[in-house]
Amino acid sequence: MRSAWGLAAPLGLAYAAFFVAPLLMLFVVSFYADEGMTRFGTEQWQRFLFDAFHWKVIGDTLLLGVKTMLATILLGLPLALVYREASPFWQRVLLFIVVMPLLTSVVVRTFAWIVILGREGVVNQLVLGLGLAAEPLRLLQTELGLVISLTQIEMPLLLLPVLSVMARIDPNLIDASASLGAGRWRTLVRVILPLAAPGIAAGCVLVFASSTTAFISQSVIGGGRLVYLPAMIWQQTMVAAHWPFAATAAIALLVSVSAVIAVIAYAGRIAAGRVEMPAHG
Amino acid sequence: MTDLARRTLLGAAAVLAAPALARAQRAGTVTAAIYPGAWEEAFREHVAPPLKRQSNIELEMQGVFAVDQIAKFAASRGAPPFDVFVLDPGPRITGLDRGMYEKFDPSRLTNRAALPNFLVDEWGVGCAAQVVGIAYNPKKVPKPAGYADLLKDPWVSRLGITGFGTTFGTVSLIELAKVFGGSETNIEPALAELKKVLPRIAAVGAPAAMPGLFQQGQCDVMYTNTQTVTTLKDRGVDIEFAVPSTGATAFFTTLHIAKGSDKIDNAYKYIDTVVSRQVQDALQKAPYNFVPVNKEVPLGAGLPMKSLDEMSRFVTHDWAKINPLRGAWIERFNREMAK
Repeated sequence: MRSAWGLAAPLGLAYAAFFVAPLLMLFVVSFYADEGMTRFGTEQWQRFLFDAFHWKVIGDTLLLGVKTMLATILLGLPLALVYREASPFWQRVLLFIVVMPLLTSVVVRTFAWIVILGREGVVNQLVLGLGLAAEPLRLLQTELGLVISLTQIEMPLLLLPVLSVMARIDPNLIDASASLGAGRWRTLVRVILPLAAPGIAAGCVLVFASSTTAFISQSVIGGGRLVYLPAMIWQQTMVAAHWPFAATAAIALLVSVSAVIAVIAYAGRIAAGRVEMPAHG
Repeated sequence: MTDLARRTLLGAAAVLAAPALARAQRAGTVTAAIYPGAWEEAFREHVAPPLKRQSNIELEMQGVFAVDQIAKFAASRGAPPFDVFVLDPGPRITGLDRGMYEKFDPSRLTNRAALPNFLVDEWGVGCAAQVVGIAYNPKKVPKPAGYADLLKDPWVSRLGITGFGTTFGTVSLIELAKVFGGSETNIEPALAELKKVLPRIAAVGAPAAMPGLFQQGQCDVMYTNTQTVTTLKDRGVDIEFAVPSTGATAFFTTLHIAKGSDKIDNAYKYIDTVVSRQVQDALQKAPYNFVPVNKEVPLGAGLPMKSLDEMSRFVTHDWAKINPLRGAWIERFNREMAK
């Protein structure tokens, strides 16, 4: 046990120096009262918390994460079921397709979505060409467009953990369920999904954390009218050079996102527990 | 106590800057802060080789944005992380207020006579100009006469705007405010007028996204600088620059020697190279499209002036007045534009 701690020491020290310490500094900076960081006080926290606009920004940021998460589940789970039943060859092909977007920079993926969703983009050319609408649809710079693109951008983060648990589900359990008279849907809901729950929860956590903090996609596809916390932090740090306020907003982002992640993880444990209870009983 | 805590923080930041310090100690080098991206590429290609050839000075570049340069210098406490700043007008004033520059002696530049007087002062020298006005797609919308037109048909429904995050965005919104009775210190009229037409505006974008949005036809008119117009034009985009009826806005990117630099001679040689005819001429060409500051360089066809001296008549702004207000403006823009 001691040696295991020793082996983990380099990474642990690196985390302490480059993650924990800056985080503490961030916390301290948020308690400077003024822009020039000359005296301590809770002014920045009061300014942040007693302003309905900031709460709306937090709400919008979390909601964006939830919407992206639901969209990736809705589109990703069926693919995961196909993957589970596929032959090893097709499993490798599917896995490659799933991982492929990760091999492209997020900046490239984001700018590609401008070309797809823009006023003269692929989607609008198709819609106008088929006569489905007289005017180009507004997709870029809307929340819908942002959720669509984030769903594609974050999909691998959901699928990788889900595929790995799906592959480990014992096929005998599914056969047992069928031989006990359960239909395909019943087997899916009562056997497959609970067994896959830890993977789904892990994927949801990754998608949620990544989409709520997807600064580039949020600012490039969402545009200036959709205000989310990461863009606000960037502006305060880089443009306004108001570090204490930026630190306050950064901690607000950290706390609110962590809170939702805790809920998702807890929900995942409950969902996974459902199948274990009858097994133990 | 407070000061102590502050010093601890700054000291911790200085540790991170230590490798840069070590580099700056070698002889025959100069460390220059430079904006990451196009500036860094342009300087690597066109400034570093002549500096090495003519003065045997190795140019070390640190890719740092303007506000970061101020922050890094503040954190370094007397041992500057680089020898030369490159700054836009807002951060330039901040640095000046905080005493971050060495006194500058323009007579030490061999190219001094080729620089317009308004670009040289006791703290530094301009190394590139920006000319800001309106860009439009001539195939989609008629030429707008001025900022007021942007909020009218047919332009408003094709308009792309950006906030106070950049220098060009800030000066453009100030000019828009002036048309409706505002001033350098009062941008409220611009926000009020924008709010009236907000649902019809084609795009409210991040500054870096604007060229892409224009290229993709998401918007067909925007305020921007000549550099963006020329760059997009080179890529085959239908785009023209229009000088607003109230005049084009000009501002300058300036070079300053960092206080406490131990490479002052090399810093002068670096600055002299940057403003030389040869380098300014190269920087003006595609793909960089800088607006030159050397009077001997013939100006490109896309620019709305025949000589640099004409630029002294362009609209300029007092950043000492703008700086203290800008943080609040950024927030106001967020709030007013938010859905």
